[in-house]
Amino acid sequence: MARREYPRPSLVSAEAPPAEAIPDFKARALREGPSSPGAPPTWASPEFGAIYEEHSRQIYYLALRFLGDPTQAEDAAHDVFLKAYRKLGEFRGESAMRTWLYRITINHCKNLLQTWHQRHMVNNAEDNLWETAAASTESPLRVLEIKELGQRIQKALHLLPQEYRLLLLLVADRQMSYDEIAVLTEQSVDAVRGKLHRARKAFIAQFQKFA
Amino acid sequence: MNPKTPKLQQQQKQETTEEIASRTAREFASPEELLRHDADQTSPPRALAHRVAESIAKEPGCTRSWWQRWFSRRTTNS
Repeated sequence: MARREYPRPSLVSAEAPPAEAIPDFKARALREGPSSPGAPPTWASPEFGAIYEEHSRQIYYLALRFLGDPTQAEDAAHDVFLKAYRKLGEFRGESAMRTWLYRITINHCKNLLQTWHQRHMVNNAEDNLWETAAASTESPLRVLEIKELGQRIQKALHLLPQEYRLLLLLVADRQMSYDEIAVLTEQSVDAVRGKLHRARKAFIAQFQKFA
Repeated sequence: MNPKTPKLQQQQKQETTEEIASRTAREFASPEELLRHDADQTSPPRALAHRVAESIAKEPGCTRSWWQRWFSRRTTNS
């Protein structure tokens, strides 16, 4: 698979720069504060803004369907991109950027789920949070359809083992090969194929229950 | 009252029902295809981009990458 080359962020330095050394666009972003939700964001690092634009949909989607909670998924996606920005200097391009971001997302989401289970928190995603999951630009009919389909998918995924859920979400990404999924989930390609076969059957069985 | 109105309403209602049925009756060959469709329809919240951009703007800067350290060492030595 052809790998895309990413430019390194221009804002990298060993020490925090003095105030007068902060580039104009970064100073502007800090000075202006939150921009209006309708306007595109002002990126302190345009290179990282491009990375966000390319991968945010898939990262948010993985977090959404893995955690099953739109609000938590938004928080998780935010934390993932912030971690990625902080660690971008460690990214050597040995894997695809998407794979690297997925690794951060999976670790972050697994930690969150572990913490939730330890605290015995009740997942109330089904009660009220799906209202925010659909895109605001969609027509009501379209939103209704997306919500219904999304709810069915989420319910079916929620009843699968965590590993099956993750494998199905990863293989659904056209950019991810079986080899990359195997590396990402730390198992052989044959194991991925076998588990995916069982995961598909389990998903179909659960999905049909909610018809 | 226009006598055609109830008929027109009924026709419109039938069209809407058919439209919903045609949209929801779409079939997918595999779970992956279904999930791809779901992912294509699911946009990250618009506020997320702003949150990430604002958080990054507050970052003091990350450490230099290996290739930057390597290039600066070469420049110093030469």
